[in-house]
This record gives sequence, C-alpha cells and structure tokens, in this order.
Amino acid sequence: MTQAVTTQHHEPVENTSTGLNSRKLLMWAFLGSDVMFFGAFIATYLVYRGKSLVGPYPDEILNIPVTSVSTFVLLMSSLAMVLGLHYVKEGNRGKATLWILMVVVLGAVFMGFQFVEFREFAHEGLTPRTNIFGTTFFILTGIHGAHVTIGVIWMAFLAYSSHTGKLRPDNALDLEIAGLYWHFVDIVWIVIFTVIYLISATDGAPAGVERVIHG
Amino acid sequence: MPVAGENYGWYASLAFNAISPIFVVGDFFDRILNNPHFTYSSQMHRVSKLSAPLRPALLLLVPVAIALLAACTPDNNQSTFGTAGPVAKDQAGLFNFIFWIAAAVFILVEGAIVYIAIRYRRRSDSDKLPYQTHGNDKLEVTWTIIPILILVAIAIPTLTGIWAQQNGVPDDKGEVVFVEAIGHQWWFEFRYTDHEIVTSNELHIPVDRPVALKLESQDVIHSFWVPKIAGKVDMVPLNDNYMWMIGDEVGTFYGQCAEFCGIAHAHMRFRVIVDTEEDFQAWLAGMHTAPDTPSADSPAGRGKNLFAANCSSCHTADTTSPGSYARELSSQQARWNGWISDIENSSIVSAPNLTHFGLRSTLGAGIKEFTADTAQAALEEWIHDPSSVKIGTRMQKHAAVYDTPDGTANLSETEVSDIASFLLSLKPGSAPAGAVADAGGDADGEAIFASNCTSCHSTGDNKLVGPGLAGVGDRAGSRVAGLDEDSYLEQSLREPGAFVVDGFPAVMPEWSHLGDDSIDALVTYLKTLN
Amino acid sequence: MTTKALTFPRLFPRPKADTGIWSWIGTVDHKRIGTLYGITAFIWFIVGGLEALLIRAQLASAESTLIGPEAFNQLFTMHGTTMVFLVIMPLSAAFFNWLIPLQIGARDVAFPRLNALSFWIFLFGSLIINASFLTGNAPNGGWFGYAPNSGATFNPGLGMTYWVVGLNILGVASIAAGLNFIVTILNMRAPGMGMFKIPIFTWMTLITSVLIVLAMPILAVAGIQLQTDRVYGTHFFNSLGGGDPVMWQHIFWLFGHPEVYILILPAMGIVSEVLPTFARKPLFGYPFVVLAGAAIAFMGWFVWSHHMFTVGLGPAVNTAFAVSTMLIAVPTGVKIFNWLGTLWGGNIRLNTPMLFSISFIAMFTIGGLSGVMHASPPTDSQQQDTYFVVAHFHYVLVGGALLGIFSGIYFWWPKFTGYFLNEKLGIANWALMMIGFNFTFAPMHWLGMDGMPRRIYTYAENMGWEGSNLAASIGGLILGLGILVFIINVFYSRMKKVMAGNDPWDGRTLEWATTSPPPVHDFDEIPQVKYRDDFWFQKYPETISEYYHDEHDQAVPSGAQIDGDDAEANAELPVVTGSADDHGDEHGHGGIHLPDMSYYPFILAFGLAIFGVAFVTDGLVLFAGAPFFIWGLLGWSMEPVND
Repeated sequence: MTQAVTTQHHEPVENTSTGLNSRKLLMWAFLGSDVMFFGAFIATYLVYRGKSLVGPYPDEILNIPVTSVSTFVLLMSSLAMVLGLHYVKEGNRGKATLWILMVVVLGAVFMGFQFVEFREFAHEGLTPRTNIFGTTFFILTGIHGAHVTIGVIWMAFLAYSSHTGKLRPDNALDLEIAGLYWHFVDIVWIVIFTVIYLISATDGAPAGVERVIHG
Repeated sequence: MPVAGENYGWYASLAFNAISPIFVVGDFFDRILNNPHFTYSSQMHRVSKLSAPLRPALLLLVPVAIALLAACTPDNNQSTFGTAGPVAKDQAGLFNFIFWIAAAVFILVEGAIVYIAIRYRRRSDSDKLPYQTHGNDKLEVTWTIIPILILVAIAIPTLTGIWAQQNGVPDDKGEVVFVEAIGHQWWFEFRYTDHEIVTSNELHIPVDRPVALKLESQDVIHSFWVPKIAGKVDMVPLNDNYMWMIGDEVGTFYGQCAEFCGIAHAHMRFRVIVDTEEDFQAWLAGMHTAPDTPSADSPAGRGKNLFAANCSSCHTADTTSPGSYARELSSQQARWNGWISDIENSSIVSAPNLTHFGLRSTLGAGIKEFTADTAQAALEEWIHDPSSVKIGTRMQKHAAVYDTPDGTANLSETEVSDIASFLLSLKPGSAPAGAVADAGGDADGEAIFASNCTSCHSTGDNKLVGPGLAGVGDRAGSRVAGLDEDSYLEQSLREPGAFVVDGFPAVMPEWSHLGDDSIDALVTYLKTLN
Repeated sequence: MTTKALTFPRLFPRPKADTGIWSWIGTVDHKRIGTLYGITAFIWFIVGGLEALLIRAQLASAESTLIGPEAFNQLFTMHGTTMVFLVIMPLSAAFFNWLIPLQIGARDVAFPRLNALSFWIFLFGSLIINASFLTGNAPNGGWFGYAPNSGATFNPGLGMTYWVVGLNILGVASIAAGLNFIVTILNMRAPGMGMFKIPIFTWMTLITSVLIVLAMPILAVAGIQLQTDRVYGTHFFNSLGGGDPVMWQHIFWLFGHPEVYILILPAMGIVSEVLPTFARKPLFGYPFVVLAGAAIAFMGWFVWSHHMFTVGLGPAVNTAFAVSTMLIAVPTGVKIFNWLGTLWGGNIRLNTPMLFSISFIAMFTIGGLSGVMHASPPTDSQQQDTYFVVAHFHYVLVGGALLGIFSGIYFWWPKFTGYFLNEKLGIANWALMMIGFNFTFAPMHWLGMDGMPRRIYTYAENMGWEGSNLAASIGGLILGLGILVFIINVFYSRMKKVMAGNDPWDGRTLEWATTSPPPVHDFDEIPQVKYRDDFWFQKYPETISEYYHDEHDQAVPSGAQIDGDDAEANAELPVVTGSADDHGDEHGHGGIHLPDMSYYPFILAFGLAIFGVAFVTDGLVLFAGAPFFIWGLLGWSMEPVND
C-alpha cells in the first residue's frame, strides 16, 4: 500500500470500498443524472408530437437521408473512441493521437451537419418560435449539440495530451472516462434520431388543423 | 349541519396533537424548576422525574381551547362541512371516514410516544444499558401489513368516489342543466349554451337538478370551487374539464377561484344561486326579456348613453335579444384577441357581461356585496375608482375613460351616478324587446357621435379600438358590393358584426336603440368626415 | 480534472492560509464547507422566516391592506422557494458535509474541490434569486411557477426570470453535491464498513443524493423550457402557441415529489441517529428502516400526479395515483413504528436533541395522516389549494424536516464545536417552537376545511376566517421567538463554552470516535470497522452478542467466503477478517495526505453566476462571465490535487 494519495497512477484494482475508481463512478452517476435530463426533453417532444398549430410540419422539413449520414458519422466517432482508448492502453502514442483526433473531427463534422440543418430549417421557416414542433425539436437537438460540443472540446484537450505524451497507459482512465461520456452522448443521439427523425418523419398537420403549404 | 358534531372530534384530536409534546415540556419544566442543582455536569446523567407534568400542560391548553372554539364553524360561507349538495356531502363524508381512521392511528401513535416517553424515561442514576436488540421481523411484517389493510379500507370508498364524481353526470339525477364556465383574469363567465344566456360571476342553478359544467379558461389556470356544493376542478387553457354538481338547498353559496392566477387572485370570487325550479325558469325567461327603456332625461336614460359611450366596448349589457348571444361570444373573443395582441396598451379587455345587472347582488367578481340600499353607492365607488375596490383589475388600466392623471374615471359625479343608475335599472322589463324610443326630429349627428362613439373612434386617421373615421363617407360606398354609402353606414350601426374591418376586434355594440332619427343623423354626420 | 498533462499559469499562489477570509474561499475541507452551508442556509432561513411573518401579518385580519397583493405574491413565492431550496436542502447539505466523512471513517469527501464548487454555486445562485428584491422584481408566480401564469405573456416582468435562472444555478450545485456524496458513500467507507454497516444517516444521505441527482435535472429541464419560453418566445407552455400548461405541472411535479423526499429523508436520518443514542438502544429494525427509505425514494417517482388531482386528468389517472400515493404511506409508517420500537424499552434521556426528535415523530405523524386525507381525490377536491394543504406540508416540512434539523444541530453541535449548546435555552427554544408551530399551523387545517384558498392576499370579513388567521399569525411570532432563542443560545453557548469532550452523548457511530471538533484530517488513524454501530460495540463489547445473537440462529452460510457488500447485506454477521472491503483507505496507514486548497471552485462558480446574471440583465454580460468561467475550468482541470 503506497501513500500515493494523489497519484495519477491507477492500479487495476482501486483502493476504494467498491473497487471502482471514484472518478469513473462519478461519471457513471453523472450519466444517470443526464439520462433524466434528456429523458425529460425527449418526453416533452413525444407528448407534443403532432400538436403544432401551424407548419412547417415534420413531414415537410425533416431530411432523413442527410441526418442518417450525420448519425453514421457520430456512430463512427464512437468506434474511433474505442480504438483511441485501445492504443492509449497499448502505449501506441501515434495511433492513439490519430484516433482521438478522429473523434474530434467526426464530432465536429456532426456539429457541422447540425449547423447546416438548423440553418436550412430557418430558411424554410422553421425556428423555435414557429410552432411546437420547432420548439421541441430545436431545444432537444440543440441541448444534444451542446453536449457534443463539450465532448469535442474535451477530446481536443485529450488529443493534445496524447500528442505531448502525457496521456499514457497508466492514466488511460482519463480517456476512458471521457469515452463514457462520448458513448453516452452517442447513444442519446440514437434515441433522438429514432424519436424525432424515424418515428415523426411522416407527422403532418394534426387533425382539424388546416395545412398551409409553405413555399 | 349533518357533520357539525363530528367536527368536535377533529378539533379534539388537533388539541391532543398540540398538547402531546407538552407532556414532555411539563416534565422538563418541573425538573428544572425543582432541581436547584441542575448543572451541565449532570446533563449526561439526567434523571427524568414526572411529579406534576400536567400543570403547565393545562395552562397551555387554554389558548388552544380558545383557538378551537373560534374554529367551530360549519356555517361559514365556504365551510366544506356545511354541505348543500350531494357531491360535497359525499366528499365530506369520505373525509370524515378517513379522518376517524386517521384519528385512531393518531391517538395510537401519539399515545405510544407519550407512554414510552414516560414509562421508559431514565429514572435513576443507574446506567444500566437496555438490551441491545436489533429488531423483530415479525413485528416488521405486522406493521407493514396492518397499514396496508387500513389503506385498502380507505381506498375502496375513495375509488368509488372518484368514479362517481369524475366520470360524468349520473343518469338518474334528473334533467341536466348545461353551463359553460370560463375563467378570465379575474372573473367568471357563465354561458347557458342551451338557453343562449350569458352572465357573469353569479351562477343561477335550479335546486335538485344536476348541473353539468364545462370548465374552460381563456388566459391562465383558474379553479372553479363552490365548497358547499362540490369540490374544485381546475379551469385550464386548452384543456376543457367537466364536472357536475347538484345544489339541494335553495340559497346563495360562495365560490372562489382556488388556483393562483395573478395579482387579483384573492378577488376572483363568485356566487352560486340555487333557485327553486320556478324561480330558475323565471330567471331564464327574464334573461331573454329586454329591460324597459328609461326615459332620455332620467338618470338611467342618461346613464345608458354614457355607458354606451364609455363602457360598451368591453361590457355588453343587452344580451337579451335573439342573436345577441352569438354576438357576445364573438365580441368576448375579439376583446381577448385585442388585449392579447397588445397587452400593455390595448384599450379593450375581456370583461363581464352585465345583462340584467340589476338582478345581481355583488360587483367586482363577487367581492363586494350590496343590497338595494347600498347598491348605488357601491357601484359609484366602483365606477369611479375600481382599483380601490379590487387591486389589479384590468378595467382601470385599459379602459380609455380612466386615462386620467390620477387614474379615476374621466366622468363627473353625476355621470358616474347616472351610469350606476342605468346598470341597476337593468332588469327584465314589462314589454317584450324591440320597442325603441325615438330621440326626436332634429337630432344632432355630431353631438350623438361625441357622446356615443368617440371612446372607440376618432374622426381622424388614428386607430382607437375601432378604425379612424376620416373619409369614411368616401370609403363607405365601395366597401360592400350592393350597398351604397348610406345603407352601409346604417347597417354598420345597426348590425356592427356584419362587416368588421380586417384587423379590428368585433366588439362594436349595436346602436339601434338610439332611434331611427339619431341613426340617420349619425349617418349624415359620418358622411361629412373627410 | 482529466488533462493533468497540461499546466496552467497561476495568477495567484495556491492558497495555504489556515485563518481569515481566504482560508474560507480556498477551502476544500468538508467540515468548513459544511459550516459555510450551515451559516448561509441559516441566514436564508431568517430571511424566509421574515417573509413568512410578513405574510402572516397581512393575513392576520380580514381586508388588510398592509402589504398589498403584488408584494404578497412576491413574498409567498420567495418564502416557498427560499425555504425549499435555500434553507432545508442546504441545511441538509451542511449535515452531509460535516458528517458523512466522519460517519464512514474517511478524511474528506471523494471530490473536495467539487464539494467547494457546489457550495459556491449554491451561494451565488441564492444571491441572484434574492437580488431580485433589490431590483423590485422579486418572483411572483409561486414557488411552483405554474404556466402560463409564469410565462412572459401574463408575467412580463423580470421576476420569474430571476426565479428560473436562480433555480437552474442552484440545481447545478445540488447535482454536483449529490454526485459527490454518492461516490463518497460508495467508495470512501472505512475498511470493513459494508453497506449494511454504515450509519443510518449515511444511508439516508445516499438515498437523498440519488434522488437529487435524478430529480434536479428534471427541474433543470422545466427551467430551461420556461426560460426559453420567456426569453426566446418558444411555446413549451404557451397555450397561445399550442403548448400545454398541464405539461409544466407534470414536469414540475415529477421533480417536485421526489424533492419532497429530498427534504424529509435527511431529517429522518438525523432522527434515526438521535433516537438510538438517547434511548441507548440500537435502531430498531435497521435493514427495514433502510429499505423503507429506499422504498419511499423509489415510490416517490410514481405519485407526482397527486399534486394534480383537480387538474382534470380523468378518473383513471386519479385512481392510479391515489393508490400509489396511499401505498407510499406504508414505508413511512414502517419508519415511524421502528422509531417507536427503538424507544421501547430504552433508557430514555430527554435532552434537547431527543425532545426535537420525539417531537419530529409526533408532528410528522400528523403531517403524514393529513397526507392520507388528500391522497383520496374526492376529499382532495375540497382540500387542494386550500390552507389544509398548507397545514399538511408545514407539518411535514417544519414539524418534520426542520425539527429533525434542529435535533441534529443540538445533537452534533458539541462535535462541530467542542462545546454544548445551552440546555435550558435549548428547552426554551424547543418549547417555543413547538407551541408556536402548532399555533401557526394547526388552525390552518380548519381554515382549509372552511374553504380558505391558498395564496390569497386577503379575504372578506364575513368568511369567518379571522380568528384562526389571527391565531396562526400569533403562532408565527411565537415560532419566530423560538428561533430567536436559538440564535441567542448559539452566542451564549459560544461565550460560556461548556466543553463537551469527544463523546458527550455516549454515541454509537464513528464521528464520536474522533476529537471534538475533529482535526482537519478527521481521524488520526482510519478506523477498522467490524460492526454496525461499531463505536458503541467497541465501548460496550459485552453487548455485541445481544445485538448479533439472534442472527446466529438463522441459517447463515457460515463457510461462505464473504465477498463485499452483497453477502454482508444478507448476513449481518460481524466480518472480522478477510472482507474485500478491507483494503484500507487511500489515506490510511501512515502519513496523512489531504487535498490542497484551491481558488478555482470559487472562480468557476463566480463565472457561472455571471452567466446567470446575464439572463436578468443583458446578454453581453455573458462575455464578462466567460473569462472567469474559462479561467476556473482550465485552472482547475490542470491543477493537481496536491502540489
């Protein structure tokens, strides 16, 4: 038993009551909290599905193919994440840096897709103020985008760390914890993609509301 | 009252709750007062005597008893115990049922606390340790199962009650009266859809007949509650709610908004007047009978014109004739649209319908009661400065007539009094509707316009509630195909709802009552505006 | 925290001071942070109490024009918000901070800097929400903020914006603290202390923390949605744009009901420590009390619509929530009966902490029973939004949470400070509080049944409510007097300093094993734990067999190698050797390493607070907050725990 209280060296078995690293446990608990956060937004979206009083409605505006591509990009970033962690643990600094950078790039590309999508929607007359679909759509995807952005910044720091050789096998946990966050944000997107894009894709004007065609 | 006696048990047990800790206080005061050697060093080895714990406890009972006596009030206006209808009665009955179960549990638990505190208090300086038991599984199971059984006993009448009270009007209760109750900030509108009657703040219902209420809100959430007749149901925008109730006692019952709805929430009250069937039918018929037309030089007659000029863009007072009901509905909607589109500066706002105000006994949404003797003074005070009676009322902020430096009405005392007289004169008249007094041969259009129209219309281009009328004579002829300018203007005065100009609320009252000559004079005058 | 690879230039040297203001701003010591929470929350308690007294003054007579409706609405909104978020939650947090490391035999919480961050965010959030008074824009839409009355259309002022922003900032603080205590309790226990050996207060803290972590994000969502509605014109709750006001209620109460248990469970934990100590018996049915707490926390998620019985959700929904609400009374009852079981056969010393704890049971029972009354929708339709409900939740929150907290203050004061609070003043404090409390809130039961709605600033003379209201107002003054006696007691006792020693009450748990007040490092040597109530059984080893002998009769797989907590949960046998927990603490065995102080939590919290200020002033203020925020974040993440 060393006295290295503040050590950055993490033995496989932690000196904690549960044997789990405290920071890792913290991240898991935080993700539990974040589940409720996203859950409440997603629930709001579902409750308000098909309740817009004016257009544009989802079936007029959602672009499934393009969003499928961005979804694929985000999924691939999770793969890059796994590879990055693998190479960090292996001590392969070059490949580790490369794959972590790949996470950053793919995350940024995803954000680019979202930016373009938001701008496109605004052009077509859908903003958060337009109708209840706009309200729930933009806030939910925007909150998710904020999560991705935080993740991208975090990963950028880690990529730099890896590049300078400060991220080593013995503190691969730093990346592992960031990875937990990244995978979580990724999984949340799959739920959002399903709920907003796949399920709602054919939602039009609710019964009793006259559809106005938007030019 | 059927449950009055049971109240005492309720109060008695509350008294018990108040005194139970006092047993312990008594012990302490006693010990401290009788023990000159009390020190901190003895603190940890304290011995609890219990020689006369009840003395101070009894002293403390006195104020508790006073409070209880003050509280014994099933006759109070909104007491849920003094019920006047089967729904409230069932609710009070269920309350009593649960209450007595709770009282038994209460006495058991609190009694156990007092008993244990006395019996197992530290009696001597001996430090003998109690047996360090860890618990008892059988006891745990017991005191898990017994509460479950008790709760099942409570749940059965609860569920029966829910389905009896919240699942529509039972079929076997008699012919149903339908009422649409709408919450506004801060008054209640009642629409009798089957009878095409609209009134506000005083709901008339027949005794012993079920009333089905559709509850709506135009703005924020309110709650409809007449404690003696039925528990509350909220009025939620976009969510129509339904409830039913029966008043089985003739009389006037108090109701109040129970959901916080803004600055005048405390002043959003109403009355439910349970009439005999004959009185109710008479009231229904009366609501379709126009009031007698006051003579032009009487206070009410002058008040009528003043009302038309100053009040009528928000308040309708003549929803008696056929078709007037539908017009009032659209006017009320238009007032709302007008207010919501410019909350700060709108000169119209949703306001109570005042048809047959002379039959009412309250003003300001049930906050000020009046009698025949006090009515005139109460109304004058209200009209002059409504906020002095009801802080936060929209009337003063939005009506043009209050656009004065001190915010009081821009009217002389006589004018205020005349309006009050007019309102109090609004009762079902002796003659059927339609008889219209003529103003006489040489009506002055400009004067009629000045006293009747200027609160909503300017003679220039600027918009008030309605459009500015500069050049209306030129426009009038071309607005509606087939109508020349004279016909268009006349029809606009007689049937304002027919051609509402885009962008303006459909709130203009009809003016036929001015008489044919006055209408003609007005038309002539309007054509001169260029 | 993660990128230790980088270094960040220090603008200030790392704080080292032991005394003075900077020693507090830079502190990461859980005891100091606990003290900060306690003092701050108590100041807000006085503010919230004065708000309540003003409310009572206005209602003391019919047709009173003392403060008028607008001020009244602001006062009851801020009274509720203050008491819930700025008083009871942080007072509980004060106990969490002070006690959890001591009770589990640790030297600090798992993340000391995060802990400091929680406090500073809480402080700044509470200041922002109260700063609204200074600008004349105090929130006036109720602590429940029902839409659309809280939306921009019907409430155009800045008040509710302050409220939303303040709550969201406070939410961050609560979540951070909750996460910290979850990890601390799971990971930092002394060697040998399995989950079913941790003190009951620690258990309740863990359950509360889980509730905080899961419930506060929902409030954050509600807050963000209302905020975007108010500021950016979205339609979440705007009925004019298709939003549903009932949705706000669902989201708010989905947070709000677990919140109720966040408020009461810590007090239940305190009482569960005080009763055994002063009855000199172990807590009766420890595992059942734990499970009852967990059951309450779990079931608390399925009862929210009982706040909405009159909203018109329909008979089926009301039936479901009536049943689930009644069920939650069962574990609550189990707790009460176990407390009585604890007292039964004890050798009861009625010191001030015990008086408060016994009163807690008495008063909480009343609140619980009136709760069953409005668990029934038919009776609730008469009680909802009346003073009956006000009476109910004050019996639960004042008669419950607050009495529990006062019990805890008197109980642990000697541990916190080394000296007793004066016992005579304590009894006066307790007696005045109890009398004042019952005089204030008992009449509200019949005011409610008499038809008096909540949140009305005045009422007519002919309603017959004057006598009871006057009694309630006088009671409020007596209650206030009781609090005043407490404040006097604090200063008087501080002056007299009757020293208590390490273990004044013959305590049962580990905090009594160390000195009073504890050293910075809490324990000179990390304790090795064998039993539940380990400290007691060390003092009285002859009683071990009394507590544990029953279990010997039961079929415990004697040969089974006990591995960690699960096995211990099943078999409450003392684990003498060989537990998987027995690794020793990170800090243990040898030199004591404590985390160094840090300014960054303060700076980060400050930056976050400025962000909040931007929402109630001008968006450009965001740029003023950003440097602090980024500085705090980067500095912190690159600062090692120890230099």
